[in-house]
Amino acid sequence: MAMAFHTLAASRVRVGPLLPAAAAAPMSSSVAAHRYHHRRRFSAIVAAAPAAAPAAAPAEFDFDSYMTERSETVNRALDAAIPEGEPPAALHEAMRYSLLAGGKRVRPALCLAACGVVGGREEWALAPAAAVEMVHTMSLVHDDLPCMDDDDLRRGKPTCHIVYGEAIAVLTGDALLSQAFHHVANAGSYPPDVDSEKHPARVVRATFELARCIGSEGLVAGQVVDLAMTGASEVVPLERLEYIHLHKTAALLEASVVMGAIIGGGTDEQIERLRKYARSIGLLFQVVDDILDVTKSSEELGKTAGKDLASDKTTYPKLLGLEKSREFAEKLLSDAKEQLAGFDKEKAAPLLHLAYYIAHRQN
Amino acid sequence: MALSSIFLPLPLPKLVSSSRSHRLLPVRASSDAPAASASFDLRRYWTSLIADVESELDAAMPMRPPESIHAAMRYAVLPGAGKEGAAKRAPPVLCVAACELLGAPRSAALPAAAALEMLHAASLVHDDLPCFDAAPTRRGRPSTHAAFGTDMAVLAGDALFPLAYTHIIAHTPSPDPVPHAVLLRVMAELARAVGSTGMAAGQFLDLAGATALGEAEVMQVLTKKFGEMAECSAACGAMLGGAGPDEEAALRRYGRTIGVLYELVDDIRSASGNGKMRSNASVLRALGMDRALGIVEELKAQAKTEADRFADKYGDRVLPLYSFVDYAVERGFELQDAAAAP
Repeated sequence: MAMAFHTLAASRVRVGPLLPAAAAAPMSSSVAAHRYHHRRRFSAIVAAAPAAAPAAAPAEFDFDSYMTERSETVNRALDAAIPEGEPPAALHEAMRYSLLAGGKRVRPALCLAACGVVGGREEWALAPAAAVEMVHTMSLVHDDLPCMDDDDLRRGKPTCHIVYGEAIAVLTGDALLSQAFHHVANAGSYPPDVDSEKHPARVVRATFELARCIGSEGLVAGQVVDLAMTGASEVVPLERLEYIHLHKTAALLEASVVMGAIIGGGTDEQIERLRKYARSIGLLFQVVDDILDVTKSSEELGKTAGKDLASDKTTYPKLLGLEKSREFAEKLLSDAKEQLAGFDKEKAAPLLHLAYYIAHRQN
Repeated sequence: MALSSIFLPLPLPKLVSSSRSHRLLPVRASSDAPAASASFDLRRYWTSLIADVESELDAAMPMRPPESIHAAMRYAVLPGAGKEGAAKRAPPVLCVAACELLGAPRSAALPAAAALEMLHAASLVHDDLPCFDAAPTRRGRPSTHAAFGTDMAVLAGDALFPLAYTHIIAHTPSPDPVPHAVLLRVMAELARAVGSTGMAAGQFLDLAGATALGEAEVMQVLTKKFGEMAECSAACGAMLGGAGPDEEAALRRYGRTIGVLYELVDDIRSASGNGKMRSNASVLRALGMDRALGIVEELKAQAKTEADRFADKYGDRVLPLYSFVDYAVERGFELQDAAAAP
């Protein structure tokens, strides 16, 4: 369907830059490239805004290693969560095909880092971290279906329905969604050193956040409004554009961060600060994506550039102009940083660098 | 396709009050609960439960922005305006009955019961999609994708899954009388039952054509697609009612057995020309009618045996459990007999 084109672009947006480029470059080299960009851009910020940046970013924090270690841990958890060969084998194979396709695991990293920043052990939040990746994968599997975006390729590999057929792709998504909730709610998913008294109530609250953020007032709401708008030819007002991004992209980042903070034992005030942080970087992610679409070549992006313009999609540069869009991105980044100000600097370093990474990625 | 679709549209069991069902009930009635079983009115019990579940579901899904998705979700879960669209709500009914058996208040189980129905409806919406069963209608009206479009139907299903969990958490009286740890067990149970080793496995096996194979494969599909959901319903009710491990295990076995029993009887009805033909009516081709009838008797005996475990301790409160078994069997054969002798 014609309107699917916009959604296609938007869903790629959500995925491509956070996860390895579609060309499937080996993880280590792509991580290295990001790190390079990140450092270069970071220094540029320091030069441009000496008052804001340096105090917040401990120079010795090794973002590259942090992300690599977290993604390895999360990949192991995901691998164990869906055992190979358990009957029905083909359904579990389809789940594994989609879930273990690689990726930077930014959402799980946010969840673990949020647990850490409020003083929890990151291992406590490993189950919710794996769950958000399952939900993320599920949303991609369903987005790619012919009745939605009708996408044949994702991350350089044939999409789930191309390999296994549409019916199994629908089931694969449903099964991943259920597995996510099972993983979060199941007592066996957590290490023995959690606070046995407070932990069950925390998990209940975290489960609520996950469900709320991905349901008809979260992720799905964003997809619905996006679908409704893609048919229309009029320019989408800024408010509506923000609604879509806050729901389609920011909601799952919010769930990731908030679940981590809850499991880590954060106070209500800390949890709400981190929620604001997540909403800022979620929106930031989309603003940056819109900017990259008009400023980078297809080669640099690893996907088709200028697609938003070609498809007549409403973007931030179109509504605000390029310069104002950049200013808006800087504003969102500084909003996110501001929410981290009250936390221990060392513990907040991963979240800070995740925000920089989202702001200054080049593809 | 899970339990509630198996149930006939209302009107419900005239069977309980008919002479036919009385032939079966006295097995229990004569020994443990002579007077009460005759006076127990399954129809009234069921009707009052359905009313409670319906109002719980209605309140759980207010119309709010974005309206299109909420309209699709309501359409998928709530019955049409009267007539043949009414759903039997078997999963929630079983859940509440298990909870009440143990003496716990209905309010402890109602939110989970509504959640069961949401999960159930979500899987039905996806099961009806053009790439699956391609069902143009359900419960006598256009299926969700026919009414709202395929893309909206996929999203409505996707949104009903999480709604089930937010609803349980927001509305179950917790931590008192339902402790948080129990709430978590209930949610894990629900997620397992609809997941890759539960109902989704059954749908997958059905897709893969297992119902065209031998008895073992057919029974596996029935168990996964229908037995798991009913087991989950009974297990959730058991947990919310504060069951001990033995009671929970017995109610699980009871639920699983009765889920398969309902479906098998339904397929027998379909094969004998009553009721709608279903995609898995091939169950009967694989089993043969004689064997299918034999399995019905076995399942019935098993379910009654499980219910027997509660008779001494809980007295009349076990009666709904017996009546479900009788209803499952009786309605089928009554219709079959009617078809045989028009």
